Amino acid sequence: MLKITGLEKIYRTEDIETMALNRLSMEVKEGEFVAIMGPSGCGKSTLLNIIGLLDDPDAGSFQFNSIEVAHFNERKRADLRKRNIGFVFQSFNLIDELTVYENVELPLLYLGIPATERKQRVEEVLEKVQIMHRKNHFPQQLSGGQQQRCAVARAVVNKPKLILADEPTGNLDSSNGNEVMQLLTELNDGGTTVVMVTHSEHDARYAHRIIRLLDGQVVMENVLS
Amino acid sequence: MIRNYFKIAFRNITGTIGYSMLNILGLATGMAVALLIGLWVYNQYSYDKFLPDYAQLYRVQRNFNSNGDTLTFQSTSLRLADALRNQVPEIEYVAESDWMGSHGLMVGDKKLFIQGGQIGGDFLKMFQFPLLSGNANTVFQDAYSIVLTQSTATALFGKENPINKMVRFDNENDLKVTGILKDLPSNSSFNFNFIVPFSYVAQKDPAIKAQYTGSFGMNGYQTFVKLKPGISYAQVAPKIRLITHVETGSLNAKNSYVTFQPLQRWHLYSNYVNGKDTAGFLEYVNMFTIIGTLVLLIACINFVNLTTARSEKRAKEVGVRKAIGSLQKDLIIQFLSESFLLTLIAFVFSMVFVQMTLPAFNALTGGKIGIPFSNAFFWLLMFGCVLLTSIIAGSKPAFYLSSFQPVQVLKGTMHPGKTRSVSRKILVVLQFSCSIALIISTVIIYQQIQYAKNRPSGYDMNRLIQSAMNNDLDKNFTALKNELIQKGIVESITTSTTPATDVSWHSDIDQWPGKNAGETVEMGTVFVSEDYFKTMGMAMKEGRNFTNIYDTTSVIFNEAAISRLQIKNPVSQSITYGKKQYKIAGIVKDALMISPFSSADPMMFYCYPTRQNIMLYRLSPNIKTQDAIVQLTSVFNKYSPAYPYKYSFVDENYAAKFKLEVLIGKLSGIFAMLAIFISCLGLFGLAAYVAEQRTKEIGIRKILGASVLQIWTLLSKDFIVLVLISCVIASPVAFYFLNNWLLKYNYRINIGAGVFILSGLMAIIITIVTISFQAIKVAKSNPVKTLRTE
Ligand SMILES: Nc1ncnc2c1ncn2[C@@H]1O[C@H](COP(=O)(O)OP(=O)(O)O)[C@@H](O)[C@H]1O
Ligand SMILES: [Mg+2]
Repeated sequence: MLKITGLEKIYRTEDIETMALNRLSMEVKEGEFVAIMGPSGCGKSTLLNIIGLLDDPDAGSFQFNSIEVAHFNERKRADLRKRNIGFVFQSFNLIDELTVYENVELPLLYLGIPATERKQRVEEVLEKVQIMHRKNHFPQQLSGGQQQRCAVARAVVNKPKLILADEPTGNLDSSNGNEVMQLLTELNDGGTTVVMVTHSEHDARYAHRIIRLLDGQVVMENVLS
Repeated sequence: MIRNYFKIAFRNITGTIGYSMLNILGLATGMAVALLIGLWVYNQYSYDKFLPDYAQLYRVQRNFNSNGDTLTFQSTSLRLADALRNQVPEIEYVAESDWMGSHGLMVGDKKLFIQGGQIGGDFLKMFQFPLLSGNANTVFQDAYSIVLTQSTATALFGKENPINKMVRFDNENDLKVTGILKDLPSNSSFNFNFIVPFSYVAQKDPAIKAQYTGSFGMNGYQTFVKLKPGISYAQVAPKIRLITHVETGSLNAKNSYVTFQPLQRWHLYSNYVNGKDTAGFLEYVNMFTIIGTLVLLIACINFVNLTTARSEKRAKEVGVRKAIGSLQKDLIIQFLSESFLLTLIAFVFSMVFVQMTLPAFNALTGGKIGIPFSNAFFWLLMFGCVLLTSIIAGSKPAFYLSSFQPVQVLKGTMHPGKTRSVSRKILVVLQFSCSIALIISTVIIYQQIQYAKNRPSGYDMNRLIQSAMNNDLDKNFTALKNELIQKGIVESITTSTTPATDVSWHSDIDQWPGKNAGETVEMGTVFVSEDYFKTMGMAMKEGRNFTNIYDTTSVIFNEAAISRLQIKNPVSQSITYGKKQYKIAGIVKDALMISPFSSADPMMFYCYPTRQNIMLYRLSPNIKTQDAIVQLTSVFNKYSPAYPYKYSFVDENYAAKFKLEVLIGKLSGIFAMLAIFISCLGLFGLAAYVAEQRTKEIGIRKILGASVLQIWTLLSKDFIVLVLISCVIASPVAFYFLNNWLLKYNYRINIGAGVFILSGLMAIIITIVTISFQAIKVAKSNPVKTLRTE
């Protein structure tokens, strides 16, 4: 599903250049659950953002479903993104002014899905992540775990083929963290490809495969049974 | 999707109610000012356009060549009116008219002394003011008829039907009411309460009738014409231009050429320069259009600054929306609909403000404008304005906010507040430049008014009263005078053809010592009776006063006349006026009877004590004004029972000459204050934002030992520098425009540096007060608390 070869990303500030990704290559197959690990600053988020089409690389190739997307323009990227990719962030990134229900509904609005179907699908995923009873609350009124479950619901409501999660449990305690990992696993079991960045060896064990990065390069891959 | 936008917009507005109120209040004030000015400007442009066929209506003017200068007069001769009527087939109707002064109307014991016109019989066919009863073709068939406006009719007849009833006119004749006009709208150049056919005047006074066949130089009346349908002025202009030149005997006629001014231009184009009607009142209309636009712009800038300053808060939302799949286009639409909603709320507030302030505004401008609630076009226009304002105010924040890159935002590596601070500063400078320029204008206008008010007028206005003469007062003047003086009510009394505050008649002087061949001079001409100069308090410079009412072969000039005519050793020299010879008895000092802003007109005074227009009298020093008025009323009623006693104080009439300038001064003062107020709202919001952003920094500084004063300086310094820059920009701009404005006054101030320093100082003080609210609050806060919240 994802085929990355020789990917480079350089950040330039006034005095320093940072090679965030250094000729990185990797592949993710459809239906896989991949964990990306590595020390802070090694380029994990940068990689995830490029995979998520939020950022573009300076060099290298990125094929999404066999289509070269590395140099797509913003319009094409947005279109691909909203149909195929769901995001889960460490800091949840829910919109404070919208309720749980409205946050989850948002991707469907951007896809132009009719109201009745929207309602049905939103309620379905809220049911699935077990925060239906909180659907009219605003994000600040929820616990961290509930917020992240809401974020997961928002990520999957448009039935994406790929879910990208950047340290989804980083701000959660272990029991809330486990619930979220459980959710991701269930989604993966249902056929969704998951790519997750994590610092936690425990969480990484939910994945099929662990890719370890150092200084913008893949240094090791472990396949888990 | 739109619903989602509005939902989030609404929650944003209510969620940060403080900022939103600042934003809405500023925008609402700006829109209210713009709306008020817009209504006023619309009203000015609508003058006279309610009349059917207004484009075919004109007034006749005479351009008079006065030694190289072309002066434009609207006083014309009856002979010209007849010539236009009979010789120019393109003209459909001609109406001659007097100058519409006040007359006495009496029905039973009801007495009115009100303004009205004596005007050619075709007038109502040309200027089709709606008649409630009567027919425009027939109302003036008989010379002894009168048409009343509805309120005049009600004042005279109450609920009775006035048609065919009699009105005693100037206590001379009974005129039959033949028509009732709807009251004239306030945006009419005409302002009469009744009209009488000119044939009445001509029939009553053979001397006036004779003027139809007299000279083109006897310019005592105004003339209106209506061109035939489809005829343009250009077709007529060449035929009328030299129409008076057939009369070879009159220098006045030979030196004049005739033009028409279209009704559409009467109100706004009143200023004549070399025979052309240049702007005039239009200048003020334009000036206020600019001010209204500027104030609205200032309010829009607030909106931009407050919205972009708060963008850090919105950044996350933008990032998330983009990550989910929103395009920049969608976000632009979202933010624009948000600004539309805010603008709409501000518009509702501004309508409330305008509705509340309209009575005061009308009282100030003397207008009668209102919000045309039932006019669909108005609402359409307002909708357009709201849309436009929301685009002007909202597009910058929309494009800015929507351009955030989700990666940066979500990573938290982005500090949107800072990157924009330069352009925000430019906007603040723009705002304050406008506001300061308005303050400077206000100060200069006030200085100019004050300067002219303090100018010696050349006569003594204190306790001086003027009343209009009438037939009865004319007959009984001596008796009235004796009684008033004997009873000690007045100390001096006289009559004159012109009021103390005007020169209503100018005429040519025929001969004077040292006249060049072909030279003509139009001079202010006043016929007076005994004690005129004494009553007016005008001092003689040379020679003597009139000895008594029989001193009819003497003329008295003012200083301006002597220097205009360049007569050496004037006293006792001879001049010719109206084919009669007069001796110069004396020279009186100049008095500012026409305009306190220009130099005194050349004037000549003759002693001619019959049929005069104005009675002038000064109250005795030892009588209280209220008592005097009571006694005057009873004496006047005794000698002129058919007219109500009416009077005006000369000092008040003189003060009225500053009306336009005072109005302009007040309006620009009010708008300057509002502009500053709106700018300060914005500054207040920005200061709050900066304080909020720097809470942590300030906390650390305080822990390290910074004083409240040091923190205050830190936070205020930047803003004060911006206002100083604005002063530097505003001063030359304001100087340029006001210097131009002052040029229209002969008697004017020189703009000094003081005004700019004063205005700048005012702006800086206001700025300091505004920011200090925030700066001191932050500077005094407990650093331990502020740091913990990080
Ligand atoms: N916007 C940026 N500007 C400059 N340097 C950046 C930027 N984003 C990330 N970096 C640098 O790139 C490297 C990789 O960052 P990142 O992908 O966020 O690492 P990780 O998520 O693995 O901690 C780091 O050294 C980081 O400092
Ligand atoms: Mg990271």
